[in-house]
Amino acid sequence: MKAPFSEYLQSIKPGLKEMISLLGQDYDYVSVLATDSHGLAVRISQRSRSVSGETMTTERGIVVRVCQNGQYAEYAFNRFDPASPEKMANELRGALEAQLVMLRLAGVKSYNTPVLPDDKQTLFVEKETQQLPETADVKALVEKLGEISDRGMTLNEHAIECIVSAQSTHICKMFLTAQRDLCQSYVYSEGAIFMIVNREGNTQAAYESVSGLCGPELFDRLEGKIDKAAQTAAELLDAERIEPGEYEIIASPEVTGLIAHEAFGHGVEMDMFVKNRALGAEYIGKRVGSDKCTMHEGALCAEDVTSYAFDDEGTLAGDVIEIDRGILKTGICDALSALRLGVAPTGNGKRENFEHKVYTRMTNTMFDSGEDSLEDMIASIKHGYLLEGMESGMEDPKHWGIQCIIKMGREIKDGRFTGKVVAPIIMTGYVPDLLGGISMLSPHREVFGSGGCGKGYKEWVKVADGGPYLKTKARLG
Amino acid sequence: MTDSIVKILNNAGVYGWEINDEKTNGWEFYFIRHELDQHRVRNVEHINVKVYQMTDDGQSIGFASEEIAPTATEQEIEKLVSDLAYRATLVKNRPFTLTPPSEVKATEGKASDIADISADFIRAMSELPETEGEDVNSYEIFVSDVSHRLITSTGIDETEHYPSSMIEVVVNARRDGHEIELYRNYKSGTCDAAGLGRDLIKTMGYGKDRLLTEPTPVNGKCDVLFSGSDACEIYQYFVDRMGAAMIYRKMSDYEIDKPICGAFNGDKVTVKALRELANSSENHAFDGEGAVIRDTTLIEDGVAKQFVGGRMFACYLGLTDSFAPTNIEVTGGSRSEAELRAGKYLEVVEFSDFQVDSMTGDIFGEIRLAYLHDGDKTIPVSGGSISGSMNDFVGNMLMSEKSAQYDSMKIPALTLLRGVTVTGAEK
Repeated sequence: MKAPFSEYLQSIKPGLKEMISLLGQDYDYVSVLATDSHGLAVRISQRSRSVSGETMTTERGIVVRVCQNGQYAEYAFNRFDPASPEKMANELRGALEAQLVMLRLAGVKSYNTPVLPDDKQTLFVEKETQQLPETADVKALVEKLGEISDRGMTLNEHAIECIVSAQSTHICKMFLTAQRDLCQSYVYSEGAIFMIVNREGNTQAAYESVSGLCGPELFDRLEGKIDKAAQTAAELLDAERIEPGEYEIIASPEVTGLIAHEAFGHGVEMDMFVKNRALGAEYIGKRVGSDKCTMHEGALCAEDVTSYAFDDEGTLAGDVIEIDRGILKTGICDALSALRLGVAPTGNGKRENFEHKVYTRMTNTMFDSGEDSLEDMIASIKHGYLLEGMESGMEDPKHWGIQCIIKMGREIKDGRFTGKVVAPIIMTGYVPDLLGGISMLSPHREVFGSGGCGKGYKEWVKVADGGPYLKTKARLG
Repeated sequence: MTDSIVKILNNAGVYGWEINDEKTNGWEFYFIRHELDQHRVRNVEHINVKVYQMTDDGQSIGFASEEIAPTATEQEIEKLVSDLAYRATLVKNRPFTLTPPSEVKATEGKASDIADISADFIRAMSELPETEGEDVNSYEIFVSDVSHRLITSTGIDETEHYPSSMIEVVVNARRDGHEIELYRNYKSGTCDAAGLGRDLIKTMGYGKDRLLTEPTPVNGKCDVLFSGSDACEIYQYFVDRMGAAMIYRKMSDYEIDKPICGAFNGDKVTVKALRELANSSENHAFDGEGAVIRDTTLIEDGVAKQFVGGRMFACYLGLTDSFAPTNIEVTGGSRSEAELRAGKYLEVVEFSDFQVDSMTGDIFGEIRLAYLHDGDKTIPVSGGSISGSMNDFVGNMLMSEKSAQYDSMKIPALTLLRGVTVTGAEK
């Protein structure tokens, strides 16, 4: 079935168009992003159970972007009467003018920016889904997650909790200007299992997840993840601390995705180029990785939680080759930053929600696969680790430092697993060294979309990342 | 709008309900260097409704929640409440009672002058003593006037107004054609211009030093000194482990009137939840379920005294007068700065992202700038990481008597963890 576009947004569209027309008399540019996204979140554990209609991306609201004399401003609100667009237009003018009065008194100078283009364009996209979160069988889902949690508790004698969560969101967004009328509707879902074990005061947690550009039907796949979660939790209880040092590593597809995200995801967000906050700007056309290293970024390069048809500025989704066989080709860019840099936007202008400003943000960030088998990769290692499970990451786009927190590592000596597991692991290093060391890539490639991404320590958005098994060298602690 | 939701909820035949209605008038300013990139206004209302359903035999309770848009029609609200009432019957939890009203009333407060607070931030940033080598790359100012009303089926109806501010600042430092950046994010009630200026001047100094660093040489154990806001993560570990949810789920092994570690060879923490801290962005009279926030000692001299948390888990543990804590004060330090800065130690002042896992006790952080002190000798270093487990550190950590406040946390100004694993960055 098609995910139906919001009736609410359809109903306010004429009023919003009228408001755009009224504001167009005073401003050089006017656009509107209106959102109406509904969801379902179920969380079941042995000790608490809850159902909510809210997920990270549920929202209903409107943000108007205007430009006057080279100065951009926005007004975000969630009370709109489509019968009185002039009232909201006046409210917007008054609120932004009050800010300008204060800014003039403070003697603030403007960062002058040209007016965004407004070419005629219409688009109406309703993507396929089997189910909708609004009409999902919540009773059956609660029972299913309860059974998974109960089963998890039987798989490990040290289990103290097995939390199973499922979230599905039906995104509806509408982007309007005087010339443009874009509407999209799609559903994405994500589920996770947290297996928590405790033995003699040693508490450990294992995590398995599923995600996809689909409805609550995705949660049928959760059941197949419970054994792995239980096994990992058991291994973590016996894990040792790693001896700090530099090692040959094989990153599992999940860890490969984390490296992609932190290394040349944030590093080539081009709003950072505008502020001169990214070293990447000086390296376009230069080598930043080995010949084996090719990276894609874009809403079109995978089908997962952030595979939209257009971004929050009305730019159509793209697929950018950021690194081609080790050479940094380009970055990703929102529309305003593109205007300032004189390049084309790539469809990466995203907001946390309608209340937040647009920044350049990632969508699907992926390493390309190779031709090496995992067995050959393992056999090639003298002393190193297969790294599994990602916890978190942080980048330094100005200095190209990278921090990845990884759940565990399986020791490899002389081409064989020793059976020793180390955990947890902090992987650090200099990005060109890490990517320059890539020597083998498997044909197998996976996408992971269960996480969120912040810009600094705020502005949380959904992202997906992934790739194949990847061999390189890294500093582990 | 809220009143019509109350009316519909009262006629829905549910066991109980809560409405959190938050109105925000926010001003935002985005600067590149000191030029205005964008200015924004947020004028929004978020109404969150939670519905509770008790089974007839009183053996289980369920709850379901949803945001109701302020533009929702009466028919839409009725449908949403009906869905919530049904969904709440699907999830069965051990029974607990809803928060009753208290005789303590919130002080409603008054609307904040967000124009004045915004102007204070802009002025503070324009007055920074920047140099050719160290200056401000960009900053983002967020100032909000928030009005929060909580109404519940048990008779709570409280409203409070409060200011909430945040500024994110990126500082650059450069030398011989190489430039680095340092990131800062400050939260507060209103603008603390003097504190902001002081910290950013110190940050510019760190920027200068970072350009002079050597690769972190240590591979092994080292004492690590925390002298900035990263130490909040260390103390949040204690707060989390005193939380009713972690205790009930057996993710924390703390027990009332028992020490929080086997043996103390260092300072013993005292952790208090406070109703108010000067200029905190978290000064609230009640929590999201209507429980009154009171000054409460959670840990005293290293001994667990009082678990705290939300209503459900608090009831399960038999806690009375519990609440979700907002402001935290940590004391118990016995050392002077000179005592803590004696001998050989690594003072990490810039991490990529310092983290403490409250459940496992694991700590991590990549070193962006640290000072390796050894007597009179100090070397700025960068690269590599620190790691270890709070389980190994709690018994021998040392703290300064002097304190420092970071928004909603007032903690010892200096914290020394002993025997931390340091992974060096030397080739």
